[in-house]
Amino acid sequence: MTVVRLPMLPGAEKTPWAASVNGKDHSIPIESNAILLDVLRDQVGNLGVKRGCDLGTCGCCAVLIDGQPRLSCLTLAREVEKSEITTVEGLSDGHHLHPIQETFAEYGGSQCGFCTPGFLVVISALLEENPQPSDAEIKTAIEGNLCRCTGYQQIVDSVRAASEILVAGKVIQNSTDQKSDPHPGFGE
Amino acid sequence: MAEKKDMVGYRQQPGKLPFTRPGSGGKNSFSEPRDESMIPASQGGEKNQPWGSHRHDELLSGRVIGKPTSLIDSKWKVTGQAHYGDDIRLPGELIGKIVRSPHHYAKVLSIDATKALELPGVIAISTGADASQKFGVLPVTKDEHAMAVETVRHVGDIVACVAAENEMTALEAVRLIDVEYEVLESIHDMKDGLKDSEKPIHDRGEYHIGEANIQKRVFQEFGDVNGIQDNAIASHKSNWYFGGVNHAATEPHAAVAHWDPSGRLTLYTPQQVPHYVHRALADVLEIPMHQINVHRTFVGGGFGGKSDPFPHEMCAAILARKSGRPVRITFDREEVYWLNRGRHPSHIEMNLHADSKGRLCGIETDALIDGGAFASFGHVTTYYNGVLHTAPYEIGAFHYTGARVWTNKPASGAMRGHGAVNSRCAVEVGIDDLSEQLSVDPITFRLANLLPPHSATITGFRVTSIGMRECLERVKEESGWDEKFRKMPLGRGIGIGCGFFISGSGLPIHWDPNKFPHATVHLKIDMDGGVTVHTGAADIGQGSDTVIAQSVAEVLGLPLDMIRVRSRDTDTSPVDLGSYSSRVTFMNANAAISAAMKIRQELIEATVKITEAPAKKLVIGDRRIFRKDDPAVGVSYLEALHKAQEERGALIASGAYRTPPMGRAHKGAAAGLAPAYSFSAYVAEVEVDPETGQTKVHKVWAAHDCGKALNPLAVKGQIIGSCHMGMGQVLSEEMRYGRDGHLMNPDLLDYKIPSIHEMPNVIPIIVESNDPEGPFGAKEAGEGPLLPILPAVCNAVYDAIGIRTHNLPITPDKMFKAIEKKCKLLGIDDPLNLPSPIIEHSELQSTLKARAKTHTQRDIDRRLNDDIEAYHNGALFGMDPTIPPDEVDEKWTVSVLPSKEYLSNPRLAGKAWLHTERRRRGD
Repeated sequence: MTVVRLPMLPGAEKTPWAASVNGKDHSIPIESNAILLDVLRDQVGNLGVKRGCDLGTCGCCAVLIDGQPRLSCLTLAREVEKSEITTVEGLSDGHHLHPIQETFAEYGGSQCGFCTPGFLVVISALLEENPQPSDAEIKTAIEGNLCRCTGYQQIVDSVRAASEILVAGKVIQNSTDQKSDPHPGFGE
Repeated sequence: MAEKKDMVGYRQQPGKLPFTRPGSGGKNSFSEPRDESMIPASQGGEKNQPWGSHRHDELLSGRVIGKPTSLIDSKWKVTGQAHYGDDIRLPGELIGKIVRSPHHYAKVLSIDATKALELPGVIAISTGADASQKFGVLPVTKDEHAMAVETVRHVGDIVACVAAENEMTALEAVRLIDVEYEVLESIHDMKDGLKDSEKPIHDRGEYHIGEANIQKRVFQEFGDVNGIQDNAIASHKSNWYFGGVNHAATEPHAAVAHWDPSGRLTLYTPQQVPHYVHRALADVLEIPMHQINVHRTFVGGGFGGKSDPFPHEMCAAILARKSGRPVRITFDREEVYWLNRGRHPSHIEMNLHADSKGRLCGIETDALIDGGAFASFGHVTTYYNGVLHTAPYEIGAFHYTGARVWTNKPASGAMRGHGAVNSRCAVEVGIDDLSEQLSVDPITFRLANLLPPHSATITGFRVTSIGMRECLERVKEESGWDEKFRKMPLGRGIGIGCGFFISGSGLPIHWDPNKFPHATVHLKIDMDGGVTVHTGAADIGQGSDTVIAQSVAEVLGLPLDMIRVRSRDTDTSPVDLGSYSSRVTFMNANAAISAAMKIRQELIEATVKITEAPAKKLVIGDRRIFRKDDPAVGVSYLEALHKAQEERGALIASGAYRTPPMGRAHKGAAAGLAPAYSFSAYVAEVEVDPETGQTKVHKVWAAHDCGKALNPLAVKGQIIGSCHMGMGQVLSEEMRYGRDGHLMNPDLLDYKIPSIHEMPNVIPIIVESNDPEGPFGAKEAGEGPLLPILPAVCNAVYDAIGIRTHNLPITPDKMFKAIEKKCKLLGIDDPLNLPSPIIEHSELQSTLKARAKTHTQRDIDRRLNDDIEAYHNGALFGMDPTIPPDEVDEKWTVSVLPSKEYLSNPRLAGKAWLHTERRRRGD
């Protein structure tokens, strides 16, 4: 049996690339054939974007390009030049988490957490467009994301809860809130 | 005087305190009253205890145990700050890539790396010559090398590895390495593994069985084996084939190795069992264990797929040593399938027999399992395929022959429900068929044949708490079973399946359980009041850090944010066996409780010193220790802590857990022993399209007895997730090999795990049987919940369309063919006219119902009564329950070697016993 492998070198030539990632402008040289996933992980430093399959089947690498969910493993970085890219790291506002981040933690939407970034960005786009999605709409939105731990049920629960928060305008807990006092019982 | 007495022990009098308060202040500083609804009745609380009291009852402070709790690391995960294997980036890192065998089975004649080494940017290349030591997860079957030494055993087996400045250079170097092979004749069908071969895949020396590829064989006979045929009035026989499945955890394997300037190795790896890697690294690198730190990163899903020490981990360490720089190796999805360790492809012959009283008078199982190229956990898997279906039913006889063979495929290993899943499916489908033959309801049949709590199975497993009956009753009621079973129209069906699984393996593989504990947990509390928990338990997403933190928090009356779990580094964690065999909650929470109890005792003693209240009267509530009869008298946690720290500094405590002595003495008696067992019963409702053969699961009622749900949120997550994984195996997942033995679907596109659209609505039902040995009564909930979903779906498919398939997964094409065949057989043109199965109960139904009712009372008496007599399997068949039956009845066999009579006509896996071990030849 002969195994034919394509030569990997010399690599593609470098080309300048600029985009806004999570609100911050980046201007870096990339290889002209670089995949967005690699640029985000290796060069921009967004390790929250996960590589699960490289084939667009698992959805772990989903990011938002100008607000639309895209699979970064199937996107050439040059395709999205000058775009606004949002990764999971860009969903929270400082210490204030996005409602879907809060509810994912609270309702068990995340177990091992590896698929979580992909789900979160896809769901945040859904909620942006439609703050009160029906169950069918939720399912359609996340059909491209695979989760091996939760069986999806608790993810759907989390989306419903996040939707309630968005609709009711409930104040999101601030994660910098005061922590427990080990010395209680002596109020002013 | 009275006033002065009041000042002994500080009353809660805001602003009137005679001292400045120590430690931190804060606005929300009032202690919350104890939540009496969470305090058990045995401690004067309001929580009912239908299953009796527990030895940990007095430790409950009503804080976190039993309340749905989000995982303590979940905020890291939802913000993208959880760092998994490939996210570990060290300065100056090199990228490692692996040269893999393109052949199924071949001799490696030469490896020429000259061209690759000349490539600029290539820093190190390593081959099997650099690591000659063998390793393996079980000490008895060390048969793996970091890289091939002489032989490659499957396509994808590691031949060499490369470290280079970047990925492209590394890949180019892999391409430039010339390997010369001499191709050998490979084996792909597991049945061929039973035959003698010219060059077996491994050579076990004098322990080699014949000249065949048999890695392990098991024979077990218990009970009235010879009487089965005489007693049986109904028999079920089926020949199953189960396709191999992969864990398909979303995170591909990765490892980062770094030798620090002092010459120590740190290996960063997403591992379920860092301790085994620790041992294997020391063996392979030939350095002492104390020079290695294994750092467990966040683990992106394990399910058993990250529980062996792996060759790529060794490769990373070897390359890093050679190059003097950190090396990161990350797998792509295809490589995950080359590593595999998934569920064994299996041929299982299942024979079940029922007698005239509707008792299970015999189970005869024969399981041939395909181990692939390496042993992995194979010894254990071979046993588990048999011994884990000796409960929850009381049986008259048990016969098991099992064999695991090597083939030239990626190795099979441990996967969620290790070894029990396939044979459990066969048993439960068989019981459905027996009930059909006897014209009785399958749930009633099961209810009338259950072992009682605190009993011994036919192979001598000590079973303590059993919530099986409640599981069955709950799913029966909630699913509307009586209105649906055998009453739904063609194409709709409902089915039942049960499960039984170990909660922690009774035998640690590396040491004597009588000498060393299974799990150890350390606590450290300093002046800040926060508790640092050191444990080696590996959180792989199931929430083990959370459950350990909960256990400590509960005993000390603290909120979870005061507990920090440090479980990542083997440098700082006490040795732990890791996350497998559903042991973590059971063993580590027990160890954590025992450590926390020591701290608790010190805090109480300190409180006694301050308040002069008698220790017996003190209880722990929310960050306070106070008199139960006068809650106003007490001290804050921090005051008690500081008092306890006087003259000695930080409080430290160590707690450990070891299993009680268990089991019998026959060969293999330790396999399947566990300090407790979990039980579950699921009802699935499915739809089968008679015209296309497409099966869809609509709803699952899933009852699981986990003893006590310490974190109900996590337990429900495990139950629903198990349904997902089991559904995949029963309907769509299979590692398919082509005619030439190549794996055809090593990716997530063709290897189909259920998406949200395939996922049924799962109703998780938690049954709490309050295990006496478990932490706060808990047992496992991670693996057992997977077992019942397979048979429940299979049985529901039969109810829907009257076809039993014994070949998993039930893909539409297989179902379509089966429907076609049945139509032909019945002379029906349109599959929509197929008859739907019906049932008319026989007289036996009322007998079984009456027996189930008596047994319900028997079980309640046994679980609530502390002073109970022993109960050995066999009592249902008229034996004295208090004595093991083999001691009273000669016919009651206990045998682990086949008789000559059996060998004259063995079943499939039984043929493994036709070979003689090399060392026994000439005997």
